[in-house]
Amino acid sequence: MTRQQAVRAAGGRRRRRTPATWARNGGVTNLLFMLPMLAVFGAFSWYPIVRTVTMAFQHTNLVQPAEWVGWQNFRNVWNDPIFPTAVRNTLWFAGLALVFGYPLPLAAAVLMSELRRFRGIFSILAYLPVVIPPVVAVLLWKTFYDGGSNGVFNTVLGWVHLGPYPWLQSSDWAMPSLVLESTWANAGGTVIIYLAALKGVNRELYEAASIDGAGVWKKVFHVTIPQLRGVLLVTMILQIIGTAQVFLEPYLFTSGGPNNSTITVLLLIYNYAFGNSLGGDYGSATALSLMLAAFLAVFSLIYLRVTRAWSD
Amino acid sequence: MKPARLSASIAVLVAASLLAAGCSSSKSKTTNTGSSAANKPVTISVASLIPGSTKEATQQFNNQVAQFVKANPTIKVKSVQYQWTGPTFAAKLAAGTLPTVFTVPFTDGRTLGENGQLADLTKEVKALPYFTKFNPGVIAEGTTSDGKVIAVPTAAYAQALHYNRKLFQQAGLDPNSPPKTWDEVVADAKQITQKTGKAGFAEMGKNDNSAGWILTTLAYSLGGRMEEGTGKDAKATLDNDATKQALQMLHTLRWDDKAMGSNFDWGWSDINQAFAAGQVGMFVNGSDIYTNLVQASKIDPSIYGVTTIPVAANDQAGVLGGGTLAAVRPDANAAEKAAAVKWIDFFYEQPLIDKTQAMRNAQTLIASKQPVGVPALPVFDETQYKLANTWIKSYINVPQEQMSPFTTGIFDQKLIPEPAASTQSVYHALDSAVQAVLTNKSANIDQLLKTANGVAQSAIQQGK
Amino acid sequence: MTTTAFRPPTETAEPNTTAAARVTDDDGGVLSAAEWRRPRVRFTVGTAQALLFVGLLVLGLGPLLWLAKSAITPTADTISRPMSLFPGGFAWHNVSTAWTDVRVGRYFWNTILLAFGSWVSQLVVATTGGFVLSVLRPKYATFVTGLLLGTLFVPAVVLLVPLYIEIVHPPVIHTSFIDSYWAVWLPAGASAFNVVLVKRFFDNLPREVFEAAKVDGAGAFRLFFSVVLPMSRPILGVVSVFAVLASWRDFLWPLLVLTNPDEQPLSVRLPSIQPQTELGVFLAALFIATLVPIAAFLIFQRSFLRGSGLGGAVKG
Repeated sequence: MTRQQAVRAAGGRRRRRTPATWARNGGVTNLLFMLPMLAVFGAFSWYPIVRTVTMAFQHTNLVQPAEWVGWQNFRNVWNDPIFPTAVRNTLWFAGLALVFGYPLPLAAAVLMSELRRFRGIFSILAYLPVVIPPVVAVLLWKTFYDGGSNGVFNTVLGWVHLGPYPWLQSSDWAMPSLVLESTWANAGGTVIIYLAALKGVNRELYEAASIDGAGVWKKVFHVTIPQLRGVLLVTMILQIIGTAQVFLEPYLFTSGGPNNSTITVLLLIYNYAFGNSLGGDYGSATALSLMLAAFLAVFSLIYLRVTRAWSD
Repeated sequence: MKPARLSASIAVLVAASLLAAGCSSSKSKTTNTGSSAANKPVTISVASLIPGSTKEATQQFNNQVAQFVKANPTIKVKSVQYQWTGPTFAAKLAAGTLPTVFTVPFTDGRTLGENGQLADLTKEVKALPYFTKFNPGVIAEGTTSDGKVIAVPTAAYAQALHYNRKLFQQAGLDPNSPPKTWDEVVADAKQITQKTGKAGFAEMGKNDNSAGWILTTLAYSLGGRMEEGTGKDAKATLDNDATKQALQMLHTLRWDDKAMGSNFDWGWSDINQAFAAGQVGMFVNGSDIYTNLVQASKIDPSIYGVTTIPVAANDQAGVLGGGTLAAVRPDANAAEKAAAVKWIDFFYEQPLIDKTQAMRNAQTLIASKQPVGVPALPVFDETQYKLANTWIKSYINVPQEQMSPFTTGIFDQKLIPEPAASTQSVYHALDSAVQAVLTNKSANIDQLLKTANGVAQSAIQQGK
Repeated sequence: MTTTAFRPPTETAEPNTTAAARVTDDDGGVLSAAEWRRPRVRFTVGTAQALLFVGLLVLGLGPLLWLAKSAITPTADTISRPMSLFPGGFAWHNVSTAWTDVRVGRYFWNTILLAFGSWVSQLVVATTGGFVLSVLRPKYATFVTGLLLGTLFVPAVVLLVPLYIEIVHPPVIHTSFIDSYWAVWLPAGASAFNVVLVKRFFDNLPREVFEAAKVDGAGAFRLFFSVVLPMSRPILGVVSVFAVLASWRDFLWPLLVLTNPDEQPLSVRLPSIQPQTELGVFLAALFIATLVPIAAFLIFQRSFLRGSGLGGAVKG
C-alpha cells in the first residue's frame, strides 16, 4: 500500500468524506485521467453491449420509435431456413480450420526450434502472410482460385497433371478453399506463439528423458506436447472463437455462395442488418449475435471445465 | 438489383444529364409548381456525380448548378456526391445524410414509396406540362399502389442480348444474324466454345440479386411471372414452368454443352469487363451498358453487337425493363419539394424533351469522348424518343449498325416491369437457385424453386 | 480469454540474456547434443528442416513475388499464362494507372489518416486509463478494471449492430457520425486489451520512483508526463504497432460507417474497384497496398514477432 493510500485510508476513517476532501485528495485529477477511458468505453463498448440485449427484443427501422416484440426476433432467426445452413457451414469452417491449421504450425514450430542458425529467417518467412492485409490476401487468392485451366493454382497443378479444379465455383470445394486461404493467412502467428512457448520448456525434462533412454519421438510426445498443453489448449479455444466469427473470407470470396454453401453465422448477421436496401432487420441481427455470444460463452466454460483436468 | 449495376447506370445517367448543357432558355420552360412558398429562399442539396468523377465532369456539373440558380434566384443548391448502393442507402436514409434529391433504381422505387421512405411529389410532378407525355409503363414505376407519385423516371432500358461479333466470326457464325430463339442461343454458344475455347454464353451468378435478376429476365422471355397481385398480398410464383425451363436451359449449357466458361459468380461489373476483354460470346444485360463498356473497360467497338432477348411465341412472354428514378427525401417540406422538382425538371428531364438541351448534351458527351446514341427506352412516348434521336443524329458516335438488331426489334417487344412486391428479396431467393444449377450438376430444379418460392413468399408477407 | 495461461512478456526487459545463454550451452530444442551427432537423426531432421524451408519460401514469399511480378505484367499475359515470367514484356504503366486513375494514392492517404487517428485515440485512452488504474488507484478502480476485463469476454460481433446504430443515430447528440472519421477513430480507442497491457506494465514500474517524485512535489500530471510516460517507451511501441496494424487491416467497420468512396481506406475500396478494373492494374493496386505493412514488418520485425505471441493470448 502506498503512502498516499495509507493517508487516505486513515483520513477516511477519521473524518466524514465531503466533496471538498475528495477533491483535495486528488479526486478531480483521478476523474480527469479516467475520463477518456470512461467516455470511450462507455459510449463504444458498455453502452452498445447493453443495447444489443435490448435491441434483440425490439423491432426498429431507425425512423419510427422501437417497439418491444418479446422473443419474436429469436423465433424469426430460428425459423429462417438459412439459419441451420449458416450454423452447419460455420461448424464446418471451424472444423476444417482445426484440421488444416492446428497440427501443421506445431510441427513447423518444433522443427524450427531445432534450428541452430537461420531461425530468424524461418520466422520471418512464416510470418509474412500474417502481415499482408487480410483484404489483399483474400483478393489475391481469389485470383489464384480462378476456375479456368489458366488459373494460377490450376496452372501449377496442371504441371503434375492434376485438375483443373473449380475452387470457389463449386458448393463442395468453396468452403475448403476458404479455409485453405485462412490457414495460410493465420498459421504464421500460431507458429510464433508455439516457438515462444517451446523456449519455456524445461531443459532438464529432456535430459531426464534422454537418460531414461527415450528417443526423439518419445521426447516430443511425452515431454514437448505435455509441456505445451497450456498454450495448445488456449490457442485451440481462441481459434474456435475466432473461426466462429469468420466473416471476411466468405464475404469477399463468395458472398456466401454458391447456393449458400459458404454462408456463415456472421455473414447471416451482416445480411440481416446490412444486406437489404430497404433497411435492416436489426432485431434479428442482434438476436443472432446474442445467440452466438451465448453459445461461445457456454462452449468456453465447458471447454475450460473439461480441459482443466489436463492442463493442471 | 445489384448496387454496382445501379451505380453504373446512375453514373451513365448522371454523366449524360450533367453534360446536358443547361441553357438560359430553360427558364421559360421551368414550370411554376404553384407553391406559395416559391418566393422565399430555400436550400436544397442534390446528388451530383459519383465519387471519383473527373475534374471536367465536376466543372460541368457546377456550371449546370450555376445556370439553375441564375434561373431560380430563390433556390440555393448544394451538390453532394452520391452513389447508390443497397446497404449504404438504408444507412443514409436513417442517418439523414441523403441529399434532398437523389436517384434510386426502378427496382426499389415503389417499395420505398409504399413504405413512406420517399416524399410524396404528386402535386408538384402532376403540374409539369409534360406529365401526361410520360410513358405510362415508366411513370408507373414512380407511382404507388394508391396513386401517389413518389419519384420521376429519368432513364429507362430493356434487357438485351449482347454478343461478341469477333467471336461469332471465329466460330463460323454470322455476326449480322444473331440468334432469334433460345435454341439458337444454346446452339451458337456451344459452337463458340468449341471453336474458340471462350465462354459461349455467360450468366451473372452473383448472389447480390443479379443472378435472380437475369433469371427473371429469362423467365419473362419464356412467358413466366414471379408474382401475382400486389403489395403484401402478392403471391410468389417463382416455381412457374418458365423459370424451370430457364434453369433447365442453363443446366444444359453449363453441364451438357460446357459452354459457360469456368466462372459462375459474375456480378454486373465484372461480366461487362470480361465481355469487353473478349472472354464472353453472349450475355444478358441492360440495353444501355455500352456506355459502361466504353468508360470502364475501353471496349473495342468493332466487337460489339446487341440484339433483343429471344421471346417465346406465347402472349405472356416479353422483355424485362428497368430504369432510374429521381426522388426526394421524405422529410422535405413543401418549399424544398417544389425546389427539388424544379431541379429534377431542369437537370434530368429537359435534356430528354428540349431540342437545344439535347443537342448540347450530345456535344459535350462527344467532347469528353463519351458515347452518344446508346440504345435505351423512351421515358416519354415513342414519338418523343424518336424525335429526340433525330436532334442528335449528327453527333452519334456509337456503332449504330451493330446495334440495329436491338434498336429495330425492341419496339415490337412487350415490355414487362420488374416484380413489384419485395423485388430484391425475390431476386435474392432466385440467386441461390441459379448458383446451385451452375455449380452442382445434380441440382434438383423443382426442389430449388420450391424453396426459393417459400423464401420469397415470406419476404413478401413481411414487406421486406 | 485472459492472459493467465501465459503471461505476455510485457516487462520488455525480457530475459534476453538468459535465453541467449541457454541457446549457447544447449540449442533449445528437443534434441540433445549427443543425438545431433547421430547421422541418422541429423539426416532426418535436416531433411525435414530443408523441406520446411522450401515450403515456407513457396508459401510465405511465393504469393508476394507473384504479386510483384504480375503488377508489372500486361493483363493479357497474366490471364493466359499466369506462371510465366514476363512472356510479353513489362507493363510498368499498371502501377501508375493504379496510383492515379484508380486513385489508389487517395485511398492510401485515407488509410494513413485512419491509422493515425486510431493510433492517437488508442494511445491516449490506454496511457491515461492505465495510469489511473495502476498508479493513482482511486477507490472505484477495481470496479472499472472489472468492467474492462468483462469486455474482453464479449465477442466483437455483439457490438457490431448497436455500435452501428449508435453511429447512425447517436443518442443525446443527434448528429450522425456516418461518413466521419471520428466514427472509426473513437471506437478504436475502446480496446480493453491495450488498457490491460499498459496497466500491467505500469504495475511493474518501481513504486519508489513515484514516491520520490511525490516527495519532490510532483502532482499527478507531472508524474504522468515526466516520470511514467518516459519510462514506458517499450510498451507504447507495442501498442503503437498493434494500433497501426489493426487499423490497416480493418475492413468491416470502415465499410459500414464510411459510405463515401472518397473517404474510404484501401481495404474497403479494393474489393469494390475489382470488378471494374483490369486485372494487371488491380494487382498493382494490391501490391501497393501490401508494401507498407511488409516494409513495417521488416523494419520492426522484433516487435511484430514478440507482439504476435501476446496478441494471440488475449485476442478473442
